[in-house]
Amino acid sequence: MKVRALLTLPGLPPLASVAFLLAVWQAASLALGQSSFPPPIEAFRALPELFRDRETYTNLAASLARMATGLVLGLAIAVPVGLVMGRSQRVTNFLNPILTVIYPIPKAALMPIIMLWVGVGDVSKVLVIFLGVSLPLVYHSYQGARAVDEKLIWSAMAMGTGPAARVLRVILPSALPEVLLGCRVGLAMALIVMITSEMIARQSGVGNILFNSLDMALYDNVYAMIVVLAALGFALDLVFEQLRRRLTFWAETSLDPVALLKEAAA
Amino acid sequence: MIEIERLSKSFETAKGTLHPALADITLDVPAGRFLSILGPSGCGKSTLLYIVGGFIEPSSGSVRVEGRPVTGPGPDRGPVFQEFALFPWKTVKGNVRYGLDVQGVPRERAEERVARLLEMVHLTGYENFYPKELSGGMKQRVAIARTLAYEPAILLMDEPFGALDAHTRRILQNELLSIWERDRKTVLFVTHGVEEAVFLSDSVLVLTGSPGRQKALIEIDLPRPRVRAELLLNRRYQEYVIEIERMMDSGQMV
Repeated sequence: MKVRALLTLPGLPPLASVAFLLAVWQAASLALGQSSFPPPIEAFRALPELFRDRETYTNLAASLARMATGLVLGLAIAVPVGLVMGRSQRVTNFLNPILTVIYPIPKAALMPIIMLWVGVGDVSKVLVIFLGVSLPLVYHSYQGARAVDEKLIWSAMAMGTGPAARVLRVILPSALPEVLLGCRVGLAMALIVMITSEMIARQSGVGNILFNSLDMALYDNVYAMIVVLAALGFALDLVFEQLRRRLTFWAETSLDPVALLKEAAA
Repeated sequence: MIEIERLSKSFETAKGTLHPALADITLDVPAGRFLSILGPSGCGKSTLLYIVGGFIEPSSGSVRVEGRPVTGPGPDRGPVFQEFALFPWKTVKGNVRYGLDVQGVPRERAEERVARLLEMVHLTGYENFYPKELSGGMKQRVAIARTLAYEPAILLMDEPFGALDAHTRRILQNELLSIWERDRKTVLFVTHGVEEAVFLSDSVLVLTGSPGRQKALIEIDLPRPRVRAELLLNRRYQEYVIEIERMMDSGQMV
């Protein structure tokens, strides 16, 4: 009975999954026995060292600033574009071919070209991050806007709501649950593209530390940095999910698969 | 006064052919009249309502309201839909206030009017509920209050009680009737319930199946205020119901 009670603790499965991951890492590292693949203990031992260095913070801040800029640009441009596409067949017909062409290109592959145009500084990195987050944002905003109940719009029109106010006060809130789903995907994309852009144009940032450590064969540091990035991704997603729930608590159906599973189990 | 003249509407189908939904409707609805539009499913009765609302354009013909041609939606014509169409991110109060805010009604007056309307539809105490927390009947009450709030001269009701259970429907029919008998707005009421139409209306427009054409316009000469229990025993009410049902069944393939 006691074991059962322990197993149903809400925090247990995630802890177990982390423990499982670390165990696999440890086992794989022992099996391979290479210095380029240290066990987790070594990586965690390198962490305090890493955080004693001020460089780590400045790099982390530089990375996060670029990521945030790319995301905000994406929100400011891609979301309105997606919303308008969702409401206008003509705009969709115009933009769809362009998006279909851009879609399969890995955004990091554009990095060298963009570097040629705008250099290796912040601008090129922010630009690729923006490109990376834009597609999921456009796609989900489009889906959200398309699914808006026509009669909500009609009701608002009958009250005298003009075209601009309709987008802002009816279509955007209606599509919000779907838009925020796109934001969640966009957030993960931003993190990925952030690292790859810093890998290609090394100057500053977390990706820069990671790959410099790799060049210098400081493998403990490389893995410590990977741990930091994983924790960062996890924390960002956690914070974002809280925000998303707060913004869409009113929604008739929850779009969160985990919440849906919980409902089904209850 | 609503003047509908030679109104037709065809929709383009997926195959690219034209499907006629409404054909050649000509009708005048005097101000203050409660007109029901009856017909089999697919006869375009909702389409007719949407055209009067200015939500969709006719293929030919015209609609005039108070002499002015309808070119789009306006606050003089307030819709109430079967699916309620409430703003799910707004509270009950927020929904009812929305139109007043758009119209620039001063805050204090808006608050007062919202409170009065919620009292009228028996939702006092539910001001801060969200639509997902309400039953179907309550949602439709909010929707009716939201539309009445900005005081349209004409109500366009599209099977407003169609999604409700029989008991709730009956209660809301009674409430609508008492609200209407107080301020006598012009009402276009789309339904496929014959008894509902006779119970509520001054006149009933019967349409044929697709495309919807005018079959008959029947004046319902029953005294007001109407009380359901009395009407059910009223010989003339019974005859209206039987006559219209017969009319709708004749020549209908089911």
